[in-house]
Amino acid sequence: MSPEEQARLTEAATEVVLQASREGRLTSRKDVLEALVADGYFHQAAGHVDTDNARQTPTEEEAAIALAGILAGHPGLASFEGLSGETVYHAPDLLSRTFARILDRKGSPLLLMAEEIRANSRDYPRPVPVELFEAPPFALAPEEIGHVLHAMAADPGYQDISFTTAPTGAVYLFSTLHLERGYAAFLALRAESLSENP
Amino acid sequence: MAATTGGFAGKVLRVDLSTGKISTQDTREKYGDVLGGTGLGYQVLWEEVPPGTGPFDSANKLVFATGVLAGTGVPCNGRTAVTTIFPTCWPKPLVGSGHMGGNFAAKLKYAGYDALIVEGRADRPVWLFIRDARVELRDASHLWGSGIRRTNLEISQEMGADCSVAAIGQAGERLAPMAIVANSLSHSAGGVGGVMGSKNLKAVGVQGSGAVRIAGDKGEWEKLIKFHLSILGGNNQHVVPSFPTPQSEYYNPASRWVGEPGRRWGAAEPPVEITGNIFDLNRIAYRTNSAAFFLGEGAWKHTVRGNGCTACPIRCHTVIKVPSVAAKYGIHETAQNTCSGLNFGRAFFKALPGGFKGPTALEACMVGMHLADDLGLWCNYGQLQRDFLKLQREGLLKAKLGATEYASIAWDKFESGDPTFLFDILPRIGERRGELGQVLSQGTAGLFRHWSMQEDDWGRDHAARYWKMGHPKHHSSEDDGQCGVIINTQYNRDAQCHSHTNFVRNGLPLSVQKRLAAEIWGSPDAVDGAGDYTPMNLHKARRARWSLVRKELHDSLGLCNWMGPWVASPLKERGYRGDDSLESRFYSLATGRKLDREGLDRMGERIFTLHRALTMRDMGQLDMRAHHDLAPAWVFKDQNGAAPFTKGTIRMDRDDISRAMDLFYEVMGWDKATGAPTAEAYARLGLKEVGKAMHAQKLMPGDAA
Ligand code: SF4
Repeated sequence: MSPEEQARLTEAATEVVLQASREGRLTSRKDVLEALVADGYFHQAAGHVDTDNARQTPTEEEAAIALAGILAGHPGLASFEGLSGETVYHAPDLLSRTFARILDRKGSPLLLMAEEIRANSRDYPRPVPVELFEAPPFALAPEEIGHVLHAMAADPGYQDISFTTAPTGAVYLFSTLHLERGYAAFLALRAESLSENP
Repeated sequence: MAATTGGFAGKVLRVDLSTGKISTQDTREKYGDVLGGTGLGYQVLWEEVPPGTGPFDSANKLVFATGVLAGTGVPCNGRTAVTTIFPTCWPKPLVGSGHMGGNFAAKLKYAGYDALIVEGRADRPVWLFIRDARVELRDASHLWGSGIRRTNLEISQEMGADCSVAAIGQAGERLAPMAIVANSLSHSAGGVGGVMGSKNLKAVGVQGSGAVRIAGDKGEWEKLIKFHLSILGGNNQHVVPSFPTPQSEYYNPASRWVGEPGRRWGAAEPPVEITGNIFDLNRIAYRTNSAAFFLGEGAWKHTVRGNGCTACPIRCHTVIKVPSVAAKYGIHETAQNTCSGLNFGRAFFKALPGGFKGPTALEACMVGMHLADDLGLWCNYGQLQRDFLKLQREGLLKAKLGATEYASIAWDKFESGDPTFLFDILPRIGERRGELGQVLSQGTAGLFRHWSMQEDDWGRDHAARYWKMGHPKHHSSEDDGQCGVIINTQYNRDAQCHSHTNFVRNGLPLSVQKRLAAEIWGSPDAVDGAGDYTPMNLHKARRARWSLVRKELHDSLGLCNWMGPWVASPLKERGYRGDDSLESRFYSLATGRKLDREGLDRMGERIFTLHRALTMRDMGQLDMRAHHDLAPAWVFKDQNGAAPFTKGTIRMDRDDISRAMDLFYEVMGWDKATGAPTAEAYARLGLKEVGKAMHAQKLMPGDAA
């Protein structure tokens, strides 16, 4: 593929990822290709010869091969291996890494909750109120949250996920990999008292 | 930059209530070096109010001072500091100030005044009419006995709707130390209402047709305002939302940035749905909903809108409408307030049906606002309620009040969590009825003074959250370890400083906070995680100093220290940095006098040091370390016996706090042994004359007692 072809493809593919990020969606290479096809990118270009530059738009197959490198090398895009095993792309300026991970895990409530709890315990650090998962973007029903917590309790892969109950009765979740139980209890109590400590 | 001056309105208005004399002074000439606000107030007290003056003596002065940036387009301006000899200080009254927002500051400046100094005492109730150059004392006998709302209404009818009225209620008239002055319905300055009452001054109504001039380039000014808006978060400069968003890497369920697309101001007519990008500058006012943050999710459907101070897009005084309270309690269905004002009513109960965020709690808050904001009763940052609960819990009220008075209190309603209890208890305190009203209306000092309760007992009680000198802690070790402790030792009332807590509560991960701390205060060790405190270091002392200096700066510039300083931001592209030089850039453009960050901070330090000198002079005390800069016993004790510096305790170590004070005095350039500013410190800050006066009174380090 000529540099010009590469540049045109980069521009078109990037726009697909940017648009998906604007709309709050993750994109795989397959999604990009499909979008390009739907946009008529290959159809328009098939056999199209740029007489000035004597270049041709790549075929779908060529584009599929080139896309991995193009998307991975783009400074404004980020990627990670999604739960499906596919690499997914997003533009962090439009769709943050944190939000992208949440979107990717939405199909797996267990992992969704566990990884969010772990990240909060590790990074801020803090336990999170269980109600966090009822609100968007998690949007899990209370019964579903209950099921997930039961499932975690029985699964050896999630034994680090624990909870503490503040004196107000509020339940906070944390990961013992990153927070000691006593400290988690302290932080939960503190979070609950903030509205009385203006 | 133009060589002209701006920012200041130009004049300070002086009204002698004893003689009726009304005069003005040139602001820049007389007070330019202290900016306005608390700086101006401290200077007036230093120069004109002799030591030993009581708060209600006619010799006491009441200084309503705005600041250079009040009434401009700078976000979060509109603050007025009301400085005086503060009546709730224990064991003796000392300098203190209350701070109100709303639109009073802007109106005063548009009328041509940076400040109003009230002197003497009128021989009958009066109110002060200010319409530009026309200033008159008017009869207030028809208003005396009225609440703040009626007073506001009557004066507004007389002056016109575009006035701002700062008034006292019955509490102030009756010289309650726990009284407020309030403007714009809910914007109150605590503790100073009784001083106004003692002067027979019911209200100040102000109307101005002028404007505040900006000396610098208009384009640059607009650009800077736009930049400032871009680094704003939600209330208290919480720079991450409480929910994950596509725009931010971070969120914090405890953030005051609670507004998000999909939420509704349910009681607006018609209801307003939050849509679009909450990071957009035109969406800033949707981020904060104090009612939802403090009273819970249920408050969304009662939300009408946000209200706030001049030019502030945060609008933290949330207006709520609860139609059912009109029929149930005979009160108005709408109310507005923020923080402690919202909490006022519910905080009087040990328990409420449905919990403290349930519908009954909401009703209690509505009744509390209805009563307290009209009576003009102050809560001393919640200490009034905590004292009341402690007295009741420990049987002290029963022991101290006469049997008849005790039995007359509607305890059944208190026990059942019935909000109508507030109709009994609040007027008793606000109108100073009975012994209970007399004592509680004096604040915690009243308990020590009249009921011989021991300050040490209060200082040992974790639940009471008492700090010292009649006042509670205000963001101390529970939020910010040694920094919080140092800050809480410095004032004669609660510290009212938010510079430090706005940073530690901003919602960013600790690693990001530490990165920013390294840039601003020289080391990531300047900040710790809450409840995971490390031993004291020099960088924490620097941060404590910076916090205090910026607090005084904001209070003197007319900016809101509940929002600033703005050293963190929601902007990922800036690495979540804010801008530490914002205040000096605004000051330079407004006044035409170029000052860098260090230069303006030096002015803040001058103001803070003047407060120190004034406190020492009026205490007659050189050894501030031993007699003023104190922390209560609860700070050094963990309820579960945890040792200092273990995770999950806010317990501090006595030796470490002693070292913290050493380091703080060192970075202030004060004497370590006494905590007193040195001659060099006074000289460096342009306070040589103050230093000389302190020396003459043997209040300079090295002076023999
Ligand atoms: S944050 Fe609230 S108190 Fe501060 S200026 Fe804005 S509206 Fe006023």
